[in-house]
Formats: sequence, structure tokens, C-alpha cells
Amino acid sequence: MNPSDSSLRALLLLSVASFLTSCASTGSKPIQDAAAGQAVTDKKNQATKHTAPATDEHDDYAESDAHIADPLEPINRGMFWCNDKLYTFIFRPISKTYEFVFPKPVRKGIDNAFENVKYPVRVVNCALQGKFKRAGQETGKFLVNTVGGVGGIFQPAEKIPALAHVPAEDTAQTFATWGIGHGPYIVLPLLGPSSLRDTVGLACDYAGNPVNWPMLYWHGGGDWEHDWTMAPPSSNTLRSMPDQFSKYDAATKDAIDPYLSARSAYVQNRAEEAKK
Amino acid sequence: MIRRLLPTLLTLCLLTTLSLGQVAEAQQRLKTAVAEVLAVADRAPNKSVLPNRVRSVLTKHVNFETMTRRAVGPGWRQFTPQQQQQATQLFSTLIIRSYSAKFTPGEHPAITYLNASSPASGRVDVPTRMVYQGSHYNVTYRLERALGWQITDVVIEGVSMIANYRSQLDAQFKKGGASAVISSLNQSLSRTP
Repeated sequence: MNPSDSSLRALLLLSVASFLTSCASTGSKPIQDAAAGQAVTDKKNQATKHTAPATDEHDDYAESDAHIADPLEPINRGMFWCNDKLYTFIFRPISKTYEFVFPKPVRKGIDNAFENVKYPVRVVNCALQGKFKRAGQETGKFLVNTVGGVGGIFQPAEKIPALAHVPAEDTAQTFATWGIGHGPYIVLPLLGPSSLRDTVGLACDYAGNPVNWPMLYWHGGGDWEHDWTMAPPSSNTLRSMPDQFSKYDAATKDAIDPYLSARSAYVQNRAEEAKK
Repeated sequence: MIRRLLPTLLTLCLLTTLSLGQVAEAQQRLKTAVAEVLAVADRAPNKSVLPNRVRSVLTKHVNFETMTRRAVGPGWRQFTPQQQQQATQLFSTLIIRSYSAKFTPGEHPAITYLNASSPASGRVDVPTRMVYQGSHYNVTYRLERALGWQITDVVIEGVSMIANYRSQLDAQFKKGGASAVISSLNQSLSRTP
């Protein structure tokens, strides 16, 4: 295989892997993370600004803080459509096979282990946001789950009140904390809803996730087919699929306009994550 | 000095007591609603009958008229009473179908009710932490008092159901007015659940 083939393959793998890794990391990210409320007919494609009067005194939705600019809407809609087809014809069958082969408790253990390994991303972002107490909780949780949970397969830390329900931090949330806005809304190939800011965050999270380190930093070129470094990111991608499809369906299944529903859900969810 | 402050303190105490009272009342109402829905879901032989079975319970505890009005947004004022009624009927059917699809008869979610708050008079937000089929969800129920406490929005992982539908229905209204909204609701319902 020539070097360009290797690079292409690595790039494809990178995108597929982050489709699941990053999604899973934020609890309800890319896919279900969908994004936001803005008029389809806004020909200027500006940020969603519901300046119209409310329908009653408790109608806060007109002033929702979930705004995002969507200047690339026609392209984004095209990508959204392509992703949907790719999910339906390629990735859903793979996901179903995975669910068929591995029973739920086994899948849960695998999910736990992969999430546990992602500790460096969470702890670094806690620190970058000045959340040092949470960084300590993350460290405690990692140690308890790694040692007491057989490498993170089980989650004994969930039974310790101080370590349970620690919100997971990521780089995009750090950027949000620093006051950096979303920038334009982007539907990424395979990964789905994102924004300029969150895409950069996603790349940082990918680089910071130990699961990807062998492939990113230890692979010295050569034959990818016989390179074990691809196995961890590929497995991470595969194991995240069922959860991501469940979230994607939740955002789009009963939608009037699945694209807008996904965008609204994405922006609302990211706003909520950044608040925690 | 104390005499001057006393009325203010008493008023504050009274307001706090009233606020706590309405929070407790709303939270209890929510617990009742959830218990009733779960009881109905438990008795259902399969998923396909759930929407019809839970409809009567949800109609009692959910204010669909308010939900539809807010989901449509300012355009609601330009709907005729008949269109409003039709939109409410279609939107409630969509919500009930969507809600019912999340349940598997016989499987119970474990719900932890967290500290409720009252962002405004006659309004209570009840955050919950839910574990269902091995997955964790943060769900906040928004209740308002009209003829008793009723649910007016459900926020799952920060995503408000009403804000989400508003982003879609408002766009439909701008495209083609009330008829476009009603037509889009009809189309959505005609798709296989």
C-alpha cells in the first residue's frame, strides 16, 4: 500500500472513530447532540434569533440561548442527508450485528472501560476550566474504577456519592468556558452535528484520548492491514454505535424537519453541557 | 427597628412557605403522573397499544394546548380557533406517540427526584435523574398551574422538547402559515412510527 493510501485510510478511520468516541464522551453528543432552532427560510442564514414576541408570560422559548449561525445550511443539509443514508445502509447493520453478538451487560462493560481510559481528556479540561475539585473527583473516579473495577469494566465509583455523576468535560466545553462562541454550524461527514468550535474541540479530544495514541503517535507508516494500532480506535468506534444511533433516532424520529430538530438538540445539549 | 423590619420578614416567610408549598404540590403531582403512566405501561401487552392506553393519563397531566401554542410560537395568534384545535390535536398525538415509543412494557425506569425549584409563581421545575435500560438520563419536568398542576415541557439532557419543536414549526409557519404547520404535522404523523 502506498503512503497516500495509508494516509487516506488513517483519515477515514479517524473520522469513523471519532464518530463514536467523541459522541459517547459527551453523553449525548454529535448525533443526538443535535442543533438548533433557526428558521429554515432565513435567507440570510444568520444566527437563530427569536425576537418575535412570546405567546404568553411563561413562554421562554422565544429567548432560548441556543443560537447558532448556519451560513452553510444548503451544504449541511446535503451532508445530513448523506450521513443518514450511510447510517442506514452501512453503519446500522454493523451496529445491529455488534448488538447481536455481544449481550448488553458485556457491551456496558466495554463502554465503561473505553470511557474510563478517556480520563486524561476529562481531567485536563477540568483543569483548563479551573475546576480543580472536579479534576480531583475525576482522578478519584479513575483510580477507583481502574483498580476496583478491573480496568474500568465495572464502575464501583458510581456507588461513592462524591464520585458519582461527575459531569464529563471536553475541549469544546473548555472553549465555551473561555468565551469562544460556536462559529458556524457544521454537519461533519459521519460525525453529524457540530460547529467550528466543537470540531476543533473534537480533534483535540481525539488526540488526547489514549485509545488513539498508538495509531496517532506510534504508527511508523507501512502496512496498516497488519498494524495492531488501528484496533483500539476501531473498537471504540464500533462499541459506541448502538448508543449513538439511539440518540440520533431520539432527535430525528418524530421530527417535523429532522435537520432542524438535530441542530436544535445539538445546540441545546451543548449549551447545557457547558453550564455544568 | 425590629418593628419596621417585622412586616418585611413576615412577608418573606409567607412567600417562602407558599413557594415551598407549591413546589411540593407540583412534585407530588408529577410523581402521581409518572406512577400512573408506568402502571398503564405495565398492563400493556405490547408497545403498539401503548399510545392509546397512555393517552387518557397524559391528557390529564399534560397541558397539550399550552405545549402546542409555545411549540408553534408567535404565529399561533394567526391561527383560527379551528386551526388551533386541529394543530393541538395533531401535536398531542405526535407527542404521545413519541413518548410511548420510549417505553418497553415491563421495564421500569429508576427515577431519582432532585430538588425542585420555582422559577416563577405558578411554575415549578422538577429535575430528575433517570436510569432506564442501563442508560442514564437527566430529565427536567416543567409544570405550571392552571386548573391544577400540569406538565408543559420535558427537558432531556438539556434539550427542551418545546424549544426543539419550535425551531421546526416556526420555520414551517414562516414558510406557509398555519396551513403549512398543520400539513407538516400531518406528514410527520403519517410516517411509520
